[in-house]
Amino acid sequence: MANLQKSEPSLGFVIPVYSSVITLLIIVMTCVELCDAVTVVDVYRLVQYDVGGMPFGSRLAALNHHAGSAVLSSGAADLSRTVLILPIRELNLTFIRESIGRRKPLGGLLLLLPLDFSPQDIENIGEADHSSAKQLVKEVLVELEQLLIHANIPYPVYFGFEDDDVNSVLADVKRNDATGQLATATTGGYKLVVAAPEPKKIASPTISNTQGWLPGLKADGGSNQLPTIAIVASYDTFGAAPALSVGSDSSGSGVVAVLEIARLFSILYSNPKTRGRYNLLFGMTSGGPYNYNGTQKWLHSLDQRFRETIDYAICLNSIGSSSNELWMHVSKPPENAYIKQIFEGFSNVAEELGLKVGLKHKKINISNPRVAWEHEQFSRLRVTALTVSELSVAPELLESTGGLSDKRQFVDEASISRSVKLVAESLARHIYGQEGKTIDIFADNSSLAVNPSYIRSWLDLLSATPRVAPFLSKNDPLIMALKKELTDHTVEVNVQQEVLDGIFTFYDSTSSRLHIYQVASVTFDLLLLLGLGSYLIVLFSFLVITTRGLDDLISLFRRPSSRKMKTA
Amino acid sequence: MTLFHFFNCAILTFGPHAVYYSATPLSEYDTLGTSIKAAVVYLITALVKLVCLATFLNVSETDSFDPYQELLKALIGFIDVAGLYFALTQLTHRNISQCHKFQAVGLGWAFADSVLHRLAPLWVGARGLEFTWDYIFQGLEANANLVLSLSLAALGSLMWLRKNKPKTLIPIIYACAGIVATMPSITSYLRQGLGWHLPKIVGFELFTSLGMAFISWQLFAACQRPSN
Repeated sequence: MANLQKSEPSLGFVIPVYSSVITLLIIVMTCVELCDAVTVVDVYRLVQYDVGGMPFGSRLAALNHHAGSAVLSSGAADLSRTVLILPIRELNLTFIRESIGRRKPLGGLLLLLPLDFSPQDIENIGEADHSSAKQLVKEVLVELEQLLIHANIPYPVYFGFEDDDVNSVLADVKRNDATGQLATATTGGYKLVVAAPEPKKIASPTISNTQGWLPGLKADGGSNQLPTIAIVASYDTFGAAPALSVGSDSSGSGVVAVLEIARLFSILYSNPKTRGRYNLLFGMTSGGPYNYNGTQKWLHSLDQRFRETIDYAICLNSIGSSSNELWMHVSKPPENAYIKQIFEGFSNVAEELGLKVGLKHKKINISNPRVAWEHEQFSRLRVTALTVSELSVAPELLESTGGLSDKRQFVDEASISRSVKLVAESLARHIYGQEGKTIDIFADNSSLAVNPSYIRSWLDLLSATPRVAPFLSKNDPLIMALKKELTDHTVEVNVQQEVLDGIFTFYDSTSSRLHIYQVASVTFDLLLLLGLGSYLIVLFSFLVITTRGLDDLISLFRRPSSRKMKTA
Repeated sequence: MTLFHFFNCAILTFGPHAVYYSATPLSEYDTLGTSIKAAVVYLITALVKLVCLATFLNVSETDSFDPYQELLKALIGFIDVAGLYFALTQLTHRNISQCHKFQAVGLGWAFADSVLHRLAPLWVGARGLEFTWDYIFQGLEANANLVLSLSLAALGSLMWLRKNKPKTLIPIIYACAGIVATMPSITSYLRQGLGWHLPKIVGFELFTSLGMAFISWQLFAACQRPSN
């Protein structure tokens, strides 16, 4: 009761105590900015593979480091515990080339692709986009891809997209880096975490080749085998990010063309009156980027006598760009009568369609394992073959195989329709013996017209499906879909499963989720601890003073001596 | 942030209770038993409130402020007051002065409240890597809650334990008790109806708790004077 009267003067302590706590909090707050919740984004890893034991690509998958931006790349800071976030639009290729070439240690790399390269963006595609900014990004991507694929990178490299969350994080990181301070455990900042297990080798990756067979009209009493014409395309891709390699142009356009030609000829062959005197073999092979390994295995699996009945094979590769020029690549010399005849037939039709077809000859070297075009696999088994492509020069190994820049928006459906018409018309004129005559078998607005919506829907589907062969299982939905589609158009369908040749070894873990945390520095925690400690001490003293009086507080510190005095 | 941050927020949330107990004469008179009994009464009260809320309240899909629901919640909140009454009056205490009794009961009450409402979110959330200010604000809220519980216990002891009160002060006592008892409803109205953010709400709670503590302190002192 008496001590309550003493508590009156201590009222003055209340306001200073609380205000000091609040000022301390404000000081602490300036060390760490007010943040938003943790962000989770989908990221796709750079491919990891071995060629004959030599390692290539990014060798690690797990990531747990602080974030840094391009601002730091110019300095000489130690980046071995930093993940650099680099948008492709502002990428400095020389920096990447240097850091890979000189094997500079880096915690990780996160490359951000523009949002319209995202596979979810298919619905917004209208005409093929040719703006110069997009072309620039495309060129940068092609060069970057080649750089990354052929390098051995000891840290994780991921590809992501520039969505809003990531952009705000990047802006924050850039702002922090501008102060010159590296984000580490003692200074706080953003932490990028990808929890991925150690990448494992994919044991015995399978490649699936699908073939459809349309038999021709056997002449009465004819015991001779009818000649066969094969139309083939490779459907798989390879790129820097296997989970993003949709290869709309490089292989998607070829597959779509084969399906459409199969559909048109199935209409013609369904009626015995219009069935030609040639068998047609439609093939969708895998293993294209790896020296057309699948095509080789498929051809070897065919009966040799049957192989000898193949008159010629047309291989389709990259026919989706909107230029008016196509190339026929052959390995037999152009003076060969057969090649001349085929080329003439193609040129006639091309002229009518407003296309220009050129002939390119490339000799094959049996001792060189490199197979640049699909027709070379046919030629090695002495089957006449040619490849129709918009590319004029043979691509190198793992080049133009459907990488990051090969997206739906750069493909022109009208070009594919025209190429389909070119091949189908030339084929039909040859089969029905109408060469040189002015006849339009697959005329527009007829029942045999090339169907643009069919082409568009298959192109859209293929452009949303990454198709790197080792990551496609035996019963992958795409393979089943292609098989079903061929079954609709042809009489006999076979799927052949093979194992990819041992020179190439692939590792799994192609996509993960990236967690971005904003972490406060240890300094902040220590300051907070200090603040709380002082708050509790002040509270304690305040309560002792108010309830027991100031003397008691002092006596707490002098307890031993006061006790001695009492006992004395 | 992990365990260091968790430790910081834990001492912010539960530290003041321990400090209060050791700093005031409560520790000398060994009133720990009273506090524990008050904590148990709080748990039982919380259970009863939960059952009533589950029975009478409809869960609304939107986050809007529904006056009828809030009124119902406030009424159920008075079960709190009933629990406090029970703890103050019915529990047999050893002979401790009224002054210390309300402190012990208020302390036990606030400690049980903090543990029940704040320990689980703290353990689950503050140990993560991501830093948020939420847990620090929660700790400040726990502090404000402690002060409020003490003032409510003081006013309660004035209302029910003290027999001779000055006539003029009685309505003020009941008014203050009413305000303190309905504090949770006021806070939820501010959060949902007016859309205040957490820092503002915590500031408001701290301010009002100090204000009410001061007022109840003065009332208590005023009621002490006649017996002096």
